[in-house]
Order: sequence, then structure tokens, then C-alpha cells
Amino acid sequence: MSGHQIEGQEPFDVDDPALTRFDLVREGARRDGVEIVHYKPRFPVPGTKVERRIERSIALMLTLAGVFAVAFVILYIWWPWEYEGGSNAGKWYTPLLGLTLGGSLVFLALAIITWGKKLLPEEISVQERHDGPSAHDEQQLTGATIVNMGDELGIARRPLLKAAVLLPGLGLGAAAVAPLVGGLIKSPHEPDAIFFETGWNPKHNDGHPVRLVREDGTPIRPEDVSTGGQMTVFPGIPGGASNKWADSPTLLIHLRPEDSALAYKNANNSERPPGINGGSQWGDFVAYSKICTHAGCPASLYEQQTNRLLCPCHQSQFDITDNARPVFGPASRSLPQLPLDVDAEGYFVATGDYKVAVGPAFWERP
Amino acid sequence: MSSGLRLVAALTLFGALYAAFAPGLQSASAEDTKGLSAAATEGKQIFDNSCISCHGRNAEGVPDRGPSLIGVGSAAVEFQVATGRMPMARQEAQAERKEPQYTREEAAQIGQYIQELGGGPQLPAGDHLRADSDEDIAKGGELFRVNCSSCHAFGAGGGALSSGKFAPTLEHATDRDIYAAMLTGPQNMPVFGDNQLTPEEKMQVIAYIQNLKSDQDPGGWGLGRLGPVPEGLAIFLIGMVGIVIATLWIAGKS
Amino acid sequence: MKRRKIDLAALPANTGKALDERFQGATPLRRLFNKVFPDHWSFLLGEIALYSFIVLLLTGTFLTLFFDPSMTEVKYNGSFVPLRGIEMSRAYETALNISFDVRGGLIMRQMHHWAALLFMAAIVVHMFRIFFTGAFRKPREANWIIGVLLFWMGFTEGFAGYSLPDDALSGTGLRIASAIMLSIPVAGTWITTSLFGGEFPGTEILPRLYIVHVLLIPGVLLALISAHMGLLVKQKHTQWPGPGRRNDNVVGVRMFPGFAVKAGGFFMLVFGVIALMGGLLQINPIWLFGPYEAAVVSAASQPDWYVMFLDGSTRLMPAWEIRAFGYTIPALLWPTLVLPAFLTILPILYPFIEARFLKDRGSHHLLQRPRDVPFRTALGAMSIAFYMVLVLSGGNDVIADKFNISLNAMTWAGRIGLLIAPPIAYFVTYRICLGLQQHDREVLAHGVETGIIRRLPDGRFMEVHQPLSPVDEHGHPAELPYAGWVVPKKMNRLGALAPAIKGFFFAIEKPAPPKPPTAVEDADRHEVTSGHR
Repeated sequence: MSGHQIEGQEPFDVDDPALTRFDLVREGARRDGVEIVHYKPRFPVPGTKVERRIERSIALMLTLAGVFAVAFVILYIWWPWEYEGGSNAGKWYTPLLGLTLGGSLVFLALAIITWGKKLLPEEISVQERHDGPSAHDEQQLTGATIVNMGDELGIARRPLLKAAVLLPGLGLGAAAVAPLVGGLIKSPHEPDAIFFETGWNPKHNDGHPVRLVREDGTPIRPEDVSTGGQMTVFPGIPGGASNKWADSPTLLIHLRPEDSALAYKNANNSERPPGINGGSQWGDFVAYSKICTHAGCPASLYEQQTNRLLCPCHQSQFDITDNARPVFGPASRSLPQLPLDVDAEGYFVATGDYKVAVGPAFWERP
Repeated sequence: MSSGLRLVAALTLFGALYAAFAPGLQSASAEDTKGLSAAATEGKQIFDNSCISCHGRNAEGVPDRGPSLIGVGSAAVEFQVATGRMPMARQEAQAERKEPQYTREEAAQIGQYIQELGGGPQLPAGDHLRADSDEDIAKGGELFRVNCSSCHAFGAGGGALSSGKFAPTLEHATDRDIYAAMLTGPQNMPVFGDNQLTPEEKMQVIAYIQNLKSDQDPGGWGLGRLGPVPEGLAIFLIGMVGIVIATLWIAGKS
Repeated sequence: MKRRKIDLAALPANTGKALDERFQGATPLRRLFNKVFPDHWSFLLGEIALYSFIVLLLTGTFLTLFFDPSMTEVKYNGSFVPLRGIEMSRAYETALNISFDVRGGLIMRQMHHWAALLFMAAIVVHMFRIFFTGAFRKPREANWIIGVLLFWMGFTEGFAGYSLPDDALSGTGLRIASAIMLSIPVAGTWITTSLFGGEFPGTEILPRLYIVHVLLIPGVLLALISAHMGLLVKQKHTQWPGPGRRNDNVVGVRMFPGFAVKAGGFFMLVFGVIALMGGLLQINPIWLFGPYEAAVVSAASQPDWYVMFLDGSTRLMPAWEIRAFGYTIPALLWPTLVLPAFLTILPILYPFIEARFLKDRGSHHLLQRPRDVPFRTALGAMSIAFYMVLVLSGGNDVIADKFNISLNAMTWAGRIGLLIAPPIAYFVTYRICLGLQQHDREVLAHGVETGIIRRLPDGRFMEVHQPLSPVDEHGHPAELPYAGWVVPKKMNRLGALAPAIKGFFFAIEKPAPPKPPTAVEDADRHEVTSGHR
């Protein structure tokens, strides 16, 4: 490498003993297209007051970083950490870990950056970009090489191969996709039309109407819900309150008599399909799907005076006395109503499944 | 707020003066107190001073001003008065919790009066209406999540309802307040009668709520336990702003 | 250095030689060391994202040691009393165990979550910088596109991570995600059942999301970040205009040691801020949310901030469902799939659209000040206004509750705001840009305001201006051309006032005594008044 000569520059002998190390650095940079145009040590005279002050402050920051790191380890090992209710020392475990770890890292950062800003020499370097396209020759040569690849293979000359090569190409492509699609694919319509039925379908209860039950599985009598009250109910089938039946949670509401009369009156005005909710109400009780028709959140913020039901996810509001029709927000469909009755033992049952699909809308849903 | 308080004070004073200088009314009320217990008589006195203008004589209600209180029970009265929601400063969408006008004893007296007028749900005695075991707290948590968190939020900090209504924070709610609220369903809150949530279950819910409130956050400052909104604010206002200020120093002239 | 132990002292050199004999690294290594980086605070924003990503990898690896994404039902029996005996999925149980039964697990979880929020925040802020300074122009269009893809990959990665603990909030988020998939015309139900392995929630989705979260997307992110950095090195960093700075050079410091020291320190700083936030600010307290149950929801159910703009668009969307021939296109499709598609395609195309619009085919390595390209800056402000309305609407229930505003009013404010805020932002920003430009030109033409008021003989008051260029015989300064960079607007910028004293409590070094005015100065410096326009 010695004696390397760059055009227009004096020959440079790297082994020349007269050269300082910085001369070598500058020459190396020059060969990388970098000109160090300004280079000045911050403290040409070593040991000035200012320099020592900066050294001391960096040393202090590094010490603090070390102290905080050690404190972190000590706290990690000996501070009580197990959960206990209320306010106690254990509740400070995570904050103290954060404080010590973060403190250590921040002090280390301050030390390093101060070092870089205050002690490293002032420098301005200029690097040429050598940007823009490759030389015309290079472009032509590479282009020819690429085109020649095609010629060598002779695809254009051999139409039979051109067609034949497509087959394994497409076939292997399909073969690569097939296991992924085939493994994942699951029909939404078979064996059950899962989007159109819920746990309230009597077929899940040997053909008998399904009881309304609480989360713990106990059935519900009409007197269990006070006027102006509401209760989240689940289908009384095995696992009915579990996430397996995520489309089945229902809100049972006990309306005040005057609101109940209004709901009766409106039941026949329901839209799409008309009159579908007729006969679903039982006494002053109505039951609507808790699954919002917009995006599927539980619409469960029931306002007992205004008879509005609000969904907390996107603020759709439904009018309970009017077929749970959406009156505000992004939902466009009424909440489906569950047809209610009371069985011989005096417990609420659903006489059948919801008459329309519950939850958010989808393509196949009329 | 303070003007509202002044208004209430003025109305109360006016009512008291009116009661004192209106002999007809005074004698009439003396007749009405027949058959009332001592506490209820005290309660009637306060009622006739402060509540009668909206809720009417014998709590029968005044159209467009205040509903009848016949049958609401002492629990509802105690809740509304002891949390300062009643007397209301003015007619508004929703009465808010504020500094109560009457002590809990006075609230109980008014409650007793309403109770003896028309019956209704009553609170159990005592201030400690919560179950205490760990199992009860866990069970209460399950009930809280199904029945309460949809409006009052997972951290019991309250939430918005439609058109300016809201579910209040439970931060200052006592055992009796929460119990009474569940039992009576004040304003837009649904009623959770004793057949739906048994007294034991109510005490479990209260146990969970009070435990939630007294349990210090283990992960540092809880940001109001409001979920991702304050977290998003924090990452910009604390994280990003802090780091960007640092970049100004790092890249600045030295 | 006197006692020379030949073996030891020669060791580094010998090792270096031995390595070079095998790998010929001397030239490329030196070239890397000598690479020049320009220095400006705004060039550090992207680094925040890079360092957050490293923290995410570190903390995330720790979490995988303890997390099990299984949806099997178990009964919780850990340390957190208020959930004992509750039925939950194994995923939620192990997430709780990380929080309460793994020593130091909670701070790792919280650091992971804060780092994720910071990663996305830094990406967005970095993107603003790139846009407003025109750094996306030729030849850097590819890196801009990679940046857009990085945003969406980070978005997806974050959402997957948010969904994994199977708490009530993540389950609600997944339910909405399934509703969004369902809204896809024709194939929606098939896609949903295929991904969820049946009806929502099924038992497949968390294990699937887990492998997506810890392997697939991190792999893609790593590849994209590598490409992003590789292109940055190849194409070299852009720089602001200034003395000696041209389109065909880079002015700054060499990568080693100057730049590397600062970058290393900055990494520690970002790491430290994440650690502080992870310890001091509680994030995503899953133990308060409870396990996911289909019937359970909390008020203020929100996604993380970087998903909030889509939650906002969903909240604002009117209930416009299309029904025809027995089929349905749900309204949910537009704000959650069509809008993001636009928000991906528009930024990807923007560099090409702008170049075509300006008939600009050149390569640009010098940045533009936002004020100098008013239409672009105004377009950016317009986009930010649009985005901010969506983000705020994503939290409109919390805002409504905490500031006593009607929820319905918030929704309407968002709907109207989405239509009127962007044009207002465009107009206002455009005017501000022109105003700033004009002020720059005025200062270049007439000089810096000195704050000295002078009364003229005819009684008028004038402010004395300090010209930036020599003045001609009439006392008029020559008008300086604008160089695309900061114009000094204060006297101390010109060195007319003594430099600020360094040091916090006491001076580190004494300021140089101000130069005494010389007689020569009076000859060629004239006071110039601003009354010559």
C-alpha cells in the first residue's frame, strides 16, 4: 500500500517517519473521499482548569451511573417484591427498579455525550457524495450482460420451453400456497351457519327452549330483576357463559310500565324485517343481544331513565323502547331481540333463537 | 359552583325564615307529624324546609320540578342527600356529587320520614357494608366487571354516557353510598335489587371497589387508571418531549 | 511506555494484520470509520425508533421466557388476591404471573409497552421531519416507502402485542378486529373463520398471533430496518444548506469517534427514559381489566395511541350501510380498511406525485426549510390536522367525561372538525410560511432590528436596523440573496452583544472582554433607519 499515488497529489509514503499519526489519519480519510477541513483539539494545553472541571464532571456522572446500577442490583435482590394489597414497601419495587435502572442509563448517557461534546476535538469533515448514476460504460456493460443471460438460455427462441416452463412455475407457486390456505381455511357456513345462530337455539338444549341464566348458571325469575334494572344473561346450556358462546350474551331489562307500553307499541314498527319483534316481550321485560351490531363490543351502558343503551367502544346508542333501534353513532342495525317466555317452573326461557344474525354486519347477511 | 352554593344557602335560609314566620304552615305540619317517629319528625322538619319546594307537600311531587318520593325508600333519600346531590342547586341533566348540605344523621332522618310516608328499599345498619375475605373480593370483582365496569370503568373512575350524562367516579363513595346506589338505581343507573344482587353480593362488590381504591398501583403512578388515552399523552408529553429536548442538547453547539 | 514488552505492545497490530490477511478489511473498515454524518437535532428522531426497537427486542425476549399464549381455561391461583379463583385463559394467567410472580417481570412488561409506544411515536415524528424537509425526494423515494411500510408493520406488531395478554381490553380489541375482517365484501366471513379457526374467539387466535408477534413481524421489521439503514449508508445522509454545503458533499463529523460516541450516548438516553417510564408510570394494568369475557366491557375502552386514529374514524363514521340483492357492505369497512388503504397508498405515491407536479427530475441532498415550500408544508399540516381530529375522536369518551362535554357533541365536533380543520390548517400554514419567508427577505434586505428607536429631525420615530451586508454610499445595504438557511434576526446572533456566559451556577470561563470600538469602524459603519422602503 505504501507509495500509493492519487492523481494530482503528491506521492504519499506511509512509512515516512516524519509523518505524524494524524497525517496518516488525514491521508486515510482523503483516500475515502473525506477532507478533514477543520480539526482542533479542544484543549491543546493539557490540564487546564476548564478541562479538569469537565473531566471531573464526567467522572462524577460515570460514578453515579455505577452507583445507580449497583443500587438496582441491591434493590432487585433485597427489596420486598411480592404482591400484597394496600400500600406497602412492595409497591415501590417496580418504581425503584425503574428509577435506579433509568438513572444509571441516563447518567451514563450524559457522561458519554458530554465526553463527545466537550473532550473530542472540534472537527468539520467534508465527504464527496459521488452520487448519481453509474458511468455510461458501466450501464452499457451490465445491461448487455443481463440481456445476454436471456440469450444464453434462449427462451425467446424456444417457444415450447417458454410455455412448458410456466407449468412448474405456476404449479409450485400453488403448491406453496395450498398448505397455508388449506390448513387455515374454515367455512363459515358448514357444518353450522355459525354467524346466524347462537347458544339460544333450542337445538343446543335437546330441542327445549333455553333458559336465561346468570354467569354462575342459576336461572332467573321475573322478580329477580327490579323495575329499572338490567341483568346480563347467558344461554342455560353447558358452558353458556363461556367465551365459546361469545355471540350469546344478552341484556335482560325490566322496563317501567309506561316504557313497557311504549315498547309494546313500537314492537310492530320494527324495521328489516318488519314486525319481527312482535311477541318477543314478556310483561315489562325485554331482552336484547348484548353484542353491538356495529363492531361486536358488549353494548351494555343502560340508562334506565332515558332507556338508551350505549356501546362504550364507538358510542352507538340504541333506543330500548323502540326495538333497540340505533339513534346515534356508527351502528346501522337494531340490536336483535330475544323472544322471551316464562316456563312452568317460573323461570325465563328464550322461545327460540334470535331471528336475525347477532353482532356486526357481514357480506352474506341480508 | 360557589354561586350555586350561595343560591342553595339563600334558598335554605329563605325556607327556614318562611317556615318560622308562616304560622299556618307550621300548625299544619304539627298535625301531620302525628304517628311519625321522633327521627321522622326531625326529618319532616328538614324536608319542609329544603325539599318541599320541588318534591311537594308530603313528598307527593310537583309537576316539572321534582318527582314524588312516595315509595322510593330511605336508601334513595340517604344516597341523594348524603352525597350532596340533593338539594339540587338548579335543574340540570344530572345531579352531581358535591359537598353535602346535611350530615349523615340528618340525611337518615329525612330518609326515615320518607320511609314512614311510603315505604321502599332500606339500607342495612352500620357503616361497614362490605365483605372482608379475599374470596369475597375476588367474587366481587367478577360481579363488578359484569355489572359495573361498563359504565364506571375498570378503575371505578367513571365514564361518559349519552348526551352529557355520565357515570360518576366512585373515588369518594362510601360503603353506604355504593350500597344505596345499587339498591335504588339513582338517576340513570339501573336498579340492582336484592333479588338480583343479594345483600351478600352487594357487599362483595363493595369490597372489591374499596379494595381497588385502597390498593396502591404496583407499577408506579397509575395515570388516573384511565387506560390508553393518558398513556398515549404520556409517551408524547413526557417521553418524546424529554428526548427531543435531549436531541437539541446533543446536536447543539458545544 | 518505557518498559516495552514487545509481545503485548505489538499484539494489536499483529492481530490487525492477521485479520486483514484473512478478510482484507483494512480498506472497507476505514471507509466506514471515516463516513461523514451531518449534525442536526432533527436527524436524531429516527434513531429514537431504532433504539426503542432494540429495547423491544431485549425486553420482549425476556417476556417470552414466561409467557404462554394458550387459551386453555385455568383457575388463577397466583399472588394477585382480587383475581384468585377466577377462571381465565392460560395466556392471561401467565401475563399476570409476569406482573406479580416473576421478580422484576412487571418492569420488563411496562418497559416493553412504553418502548412500543415510543417506537411508534418516534416513527411518526421522524416521518414528519422527513416530509417537511423534503428528504423523501429523489433519490430517497425507496427509503420513504420503506418508512411507510415500517409504520404499518409496527402498527400491526403493536396491535398483536396488545391482544396477547387476553385481558378484557385486548379481547375487546380482537373482537373489533374480527368485526373489521367480517366487513370485507365477499370473503369477510371466510377470512374471519379461517384466521380465528372458527367463530370468534375460538382457541386458535392467540397462539397464531403469538408467532406473528414474536417471529414473523419482528423478522419483517428487522429486514425493513436493515434495508432502511443500508440505503441511508449507501445514499448518505441529507444535510441542511449552509456554508460549504453543496448538493454533492456531506459536511459533518466522521462516524468514529465523534458521531458514534454521541449516538451511543443517545441510545443509553433513550433506554434510560424507557426504563424510567417503565418503572414510574404504570401502563396497561391488565390485572384491573380482568380476563376477557364476551359479556364484559369497560368504559373508556381504547386501543393504544397509534391505533386510536382508526378507532376515531370508526366512531365518526355515519351509519351508512349498503344493502343490495341480499348482500351487505357494512359501514365499518370504510373507516377501518378503505381509509388505511388510502393512508398507505397516498404517502407511498407522494414523492412521485410531487416530482411530477414540480417537473423535478434532479437528485436532492440538501434539505428545504418548511417555510420555503409552502404548499408541501401546508399539505403536511392539513394531514396532521386530519390525523389529530381522528386521534382525539378515538379518545372522545374520555375527553367528554373529564372535561364535562356531551359525548354526542364530541362526536359531532369530530365529524365537522374532520371536514373543516384540514382546509383551515392548510390555509393558515400557507400564510405563516409566506410570512416567515417575507420576514427573512426583509432582514436580508434591510438588516436586523436593533430595538433602538430614534427620533428623526422631522419628529418621526424610526427603529435603527443593523444591515447584514456592507452599505453603499447612500447608506443602503446591498440586498443579500436567500441561501435556504436560518437568517440571523437578533443582534447577539451577529456577535454585537457579548456571548452568553457559560455555566449554570458560576461561569466556567470568563467571557472575552468586548472589543473596544475602533476609529476605523466608525468610518464604514452607518446607522441605517428602516424608513427607506
